[in-house]
Amino acid sequence: MSNTLRPYLAAVRSTLTAALCLENFSSQVVERHNKPEVEARSSSEVVMNPLIISRNENEKVMIEPSVNSIRISIRIKQADEIETILCKKFTRFMMLRAENFIILRRKPIDGYSISFLITNSHTEQMYKHKLVDFIIQFMEEVDKEISEMKLSLNARARIVAESYLSQFD
Amino acid sequence: MSFRSIDVDALDEDILLPDELFAFSNGIEIDPETALNNVKSKEVEVRNLLTRGDTSNALIKAIENPPYGLFTIEAKDLNTQIVMEVLNSTKATVEFVKSLATEQQDILMKYIYRGMASPDLYNSAVLLNWHEKLTEVAGVGCIVRVITDRKAV
Repeated sequence: MSNTLRPYLAAVRSTLTAALCLENFSSQVVERHNKPEVEARSSSEVVMNPLIISRNENEKVMIEPSVNSIRISIRIKQADEIETILCKKFTRFMMLRAENFIILRRKPIDGYSISFLITNSHTEQMYKHKLVDFIIQFMEEVDKEISEMKLSLNARARIVAESYLSQFD
Repeated sequence: MSFRSIDVDALDEDILLPDELFAFSNGIEIDPETALNNVKSKEVEVRNLLTRGDTSNALIKAIENPPYGLFTIEAKDLNTQIVMEVLNSTKATVEFVKSLATEQQDILMKYIYRGMASPDLYNSAVLLNWHEKLTEVAGVGCIVRVITDRKAV
């Protein structure tokens, strides 16, 4: 299992490092505007080829680079229904507080669990390698977090069921 | 108010279209039919090399002259399938990747990303292994060239 995790994260890391070459770029359509081109899609020349890195059908990362912004969408592993619910709740909790995470996008892209949007102002304010580290660490932690939550949820459900059914002994 | 939903920028006469971008990056549009036939004849050659156990030459042959273009979808799919077959039957080694020319490394990287984009069809674990070896040799520059090249596979 974990033997594909290391090359997976390594591939995401190197691709992110390659894609995070951002510069300030004003809108070509509206004067005095400066929009993330990956979202605005005002011209096809400033949006580069999107790349997908996958570990299996359920776990993949899509990186969409453009001249002044990149969008990273992560599909978190969801093996069963409990994990699907937990993942939904967990990402929702984070996305409601998106401004605290600075690069988090308020809505994920279709087919993915969570999305990040990094613009040139972010790479100017923060170190590029730390941004990459953050994404990688997030990917490592989120799997751990969800499986931990699943375990505690099951344990709790067992205790609840036991104490409820003990009345009928 | 329906006029507000019209994308007026699309009607601009100096709007840049994908086929112009493709032409700017020296891409030459070929007839989809010929492209498919080229790939089919390549498939036979690659199969022959594979049955002889000559995997490294099979891979070089498979990534040679890939079908670019905006309309050659069938040819692209077939070529990807061939490359994936070869990658699955070859062990990823640093020595082999080093022996490739820079252009060949770039094309191989394009196919690795293309394969990873459909994990339901191709084995991602093998591709991730290849990706790791290729990045070790060719570096981040190789990935940047895949990102920016309009001649997608």
